[in-house]
Parts: sequence; structure tokens; C-alpha cells
Amino acid sequence: MKTTVPASPTDQLEVDQDIISRVLAGNRDAFSVLINRYSDPLYRHALGMTGSPDVAEDILQMSFIKAYQHLAEVRGRFDAWVFRIVANGCKDWLKNIRRTHLSYDEDDQPSGYSTPDEELDRTELRSDLDKALMTLAPSLREAFVMKHVEGRSYEEMADLLGTTVGALKMRVHRAREALQALLEEKYA
Amino acid sequence: MLDNLNARDGSGDAGRERPRRASEHVQPLSDREVPLAGTATSEMINRWLDGEAPEPVALNAESTRQVDLWRRIEEESERRRHMVTPAHVKAQIMAALPADVPQVALPWWKKSIQVSPVVALAAAAGLVALGAAIGNSMRLR
Repeated sequence: MKTTVPASPTDQLEVDQDIISRVLAGNRDAFSVLINRYSDPLYRHALGMTGSPDVAEDILQMSFIKAYQHLAEVRGRFDAWVFRIVANGCKDWLKNIRRTHLSYDEDDQPSGYSTPDEELDRTELRSDLDKALMTLAPSLREAFVMKHVEGRSYEEMADLLGTTVGALKMRVHRAREALQALLEEKYA
Repeated sequence: MLDNLNARDGSGDAGRERPRRASEHVQPLSDREVPLAGTATSEMINRWLDGEAPEPVALNAESTRQVDLWRRIEEESERRRHMVTPAHVKAQIMAALPADVPQVALPWWKKSIQVSPVVALAAAAGLVALGAAIGNSMRLR
């Protein structure tokens, strides 16, 4: 199903509320519009936080099912509300489950590197970056993933996490310091 | 059980980080409150990565290596930024949704209740008895 990206946040809010009304009125299939619209950034967040495609898929599925069950409780922006469900799901997983799978196995993107050496180097960096990310505290990892992997602005992050731009800048800077300390011996 | 959707993992609020508990001091190094180094280079790199300044140039050898490292990390981040949800996951989510339409949550005082005639009669009799008891006690005064 093709969805049109709304022009402004107000339009987006209205469109989402209209879809929610349709779902609550019994049109279950309308929920797929919300899934199509928001699953990609949520999947990237879960993948960045857990480092495992399988776990990210599970968290995404559980989160959307939870969102469906509690859809009548949405007040304000659906995307911010469902983001908090996914973010909490990731934090719960990090607290409760021992990680056994730390690498990105799926890569649908075409490689921009030309030589086998560069490709090997890139794969190694990817693996090392994953391992380094997993050593960060969840709040630092969350901030780094939102800033670098999801490409969000500090203002957007502050809005979603309910904190200030200053606090988030500090977390991202700390995460960078820690990652640089872990990776520079090998790569810098 | 409902999720606490406003939970913030105890992290910073209103511009300040929450106080640390004693037990948290055994967390990994990166979790501790360590002041940032605050060197000119790290400041420049952070400003560059935050999009507030152009890429640093004319640096010493060590700083040049750090900038190169972050350029490579940014390339990897850019690749991850384009990852999409596997197609089968969306279909799985739709298939796993409950068949029931999500119900609008009403506060208890707005919810309708069903009472059987026997219960209604018993409640009425109880109210009459309570009223009579109150009336008697007031008459005795």
C-alpha cells in the first residue's frame, strides 16, 4: 500500500487520528497504513539498540500489537507514542535478556566499495562498531543511535525522549568519546 | 499489564541528570559520570558531527586520524540509516493483530453495569433498612 507523506506535523497528526478513528470503528486493515508509515525508523531504532535483526523484528511486532490493543489511549502524536513503546521494549530486552547475537546479518544496500580489501575492511568496522556500541550504557547508546543511525535532530530527540537538547548533546558527546576510545587504537 | 509509556529510564529530565545510586558505580566505564575531555579537537569534531561546523582541516596527525575514523563511522551510519523493515515483518504484524477491534477505554463511572432483578431487589431492601435504621437513631435523640 502506498502512503503519502503529509506536508506538516499538523497534517500528519490529523491523518494519523483519522486512521486511528477508522481502526477503532472496525477497519482493522487501516492499521497497516500506520505500520507502513512508521515501521522503518522504529526498526532502525530497535536494530541499533539490540544489534540483532531477529530481536528488532520481535520488538517491532510486539510493539505494534501493543499499540493496536491500546489504540484508544493515544493522545497526541501516534509516532511519538509508538516510539516510546518500542524504546521501552528495547530497554526491557537489554535489561532481561542475555545477548547472543550481536551482528548485522542483513544488508540490503548495494555496496559502494569497489575492492575486496575495502569490503573486508568495511565489514570489520561494522562488526567492531556493533561490539563497541553494545558496551555503552543504554542511555548513551540510545542517544547515539538516534543521532547517527536514525539521523534525528537534537530537538526531535528531545521531543521523543522528553528531555532537553543540552542533556542529549552531553549523552551523544559521551558516547562518541567512548566509541573513539574503543575504536581509535585499531582504526585511527 | 499496561506499559508505562512515559517512562524515561530514569534518565535526565529538565536539563539535569538524575542522581546516581551507589549500585550504579559498578556499571561499565562508559556509564559513569566522567567529565568530557573538552580538548579543542574533540570540541571541533563534535561540532562537525553535530552539523554546526565544517569538517576540521589543518589538524595535527592524531586529530587527522580521529577525523578519518569518524568519517568512516559516518559512512557506516549512513548505510544503516537506509535500512528498511523486512517486508515479511509488516505482513507478520498484520497477521498477528487480535481479531477484536480495540476498545475505547472508559473511566469506571462511565461504564454501564448489568444488575439482575434479585440483586436490584436486595440492594433496594438494604437501602430501605439503612434508611429505617438512620430514622430510628435520629428519633431516639
